[in-house]
Amino acid sequence: MRNYKIDELDQQIITLLSEDARLSNRKIAAELGFTEGTIRSRVKRLEDENYIRFTAVTNMEHMKTPLLAQIGIHAEQDMIKQVAEEVAKFSQINAVIILLGRFDIFAIGLFEGLAEVQQVASNQILDLKGVRLVETSLVVDVAKYDNRVAKIVHPLSEYSLEFAAK
Amino acid sequence: MSDQNFEFSDLDRSIITILKKDGRTSNQKIADMLNVTTSMVATRIRRMEQAKAMKVVAVSDFSAFDYNVLLPIGVDVKGRRANDVAADLAKLEEVAVVQLVSGRHDIEILVTLPSMDDMSGFLLEKLSKIKGIRNLDPSFAVDIIKYDFDVAPI
Repeated sequence: MRNYKIDELDQQIITLLSEDARLSNRKIAAELGFTEGTIRSRVKRLEDENYIRFTAVTNMEHMKTPLLAQIGIHAEQDMIKQVAEEVAKFSQINAVIILLGRFDIFAIGLFEGLAEVQQVASNQILDLKGVRLVETSLVVDVAKYDNRVAKIVHPLSEYSLEFAAK
Repeated sequence: MSDQNFEFSDLDRSIITILKKDGRTSNQKIADMLNVTTSMVATRIRRMEQAKAMKVVAVSDFSAFDYNVLLPIGVDVKGRRANDVAADLAKLEEVAVVQLVSGRHDIEILVTLPSMDDMSGFLLEKLSKIKGIRNLDPSFAVDIIKYDFDVAPI
């Protein structure tokens, strides 16, 4: 899928940008002892190869009653992929992972309060065709959250198209 | 701790919408798109960052750090406070997320490993050294359909 395997310089650039994505190429170049041009082409390649994405993250403390919930779903074996794709459509759901083990599908969502968790998990998801069982777990506290890593699912081109359309 | 009194203005929201798409859009370009001055954009971004209401980050794919195996694991605790067990789990480099939960398990973690070969070292040398873990309920991530955390604890 990828033509390029990242090296140590790429990882150093990523580490700096994961703290502050708005650092200028000039500052990164000075910090790491390379030219601005080298840094610019590295950053571009990392983006083009879907290794990295720059985004604004807002603090969930600024929601009224933020509640993270994890929803484990058991689905009919021949419908796992379809169910996962349906679950991914809910705006409250941030992550949908197909699992081997505890559940067939593991979904993580951010909700405005318990009523919304109940509405989405126990009503809407359970009602989807192919869903056999839903088990919800509420997040009480987050002891660690490494937002440097994620799965970059959409290729860059889709992002730019979507943006151009707005 | 974030500034709880901070409220996003309409301009802030417009800036965030642009930065969510591309966090490295220049202040100049944002200013042009929103018809405001460059210094207004710079001030608002700085203000939001200082209030810890927003930050602009590089998110890298798991594979950029050579994490190819993802394991969501439910952890049950006994004989020790779940908070303390969670704090120990959080110290492990391979553990990307630690959440205290109410549900079937006490703690949910997301473990990231380069390959299956790293499993025994992680399980036997690191995880099993943590006191108070009664049971692990592991699973393998087979496919990731959506992974989009643009609202998160900062």
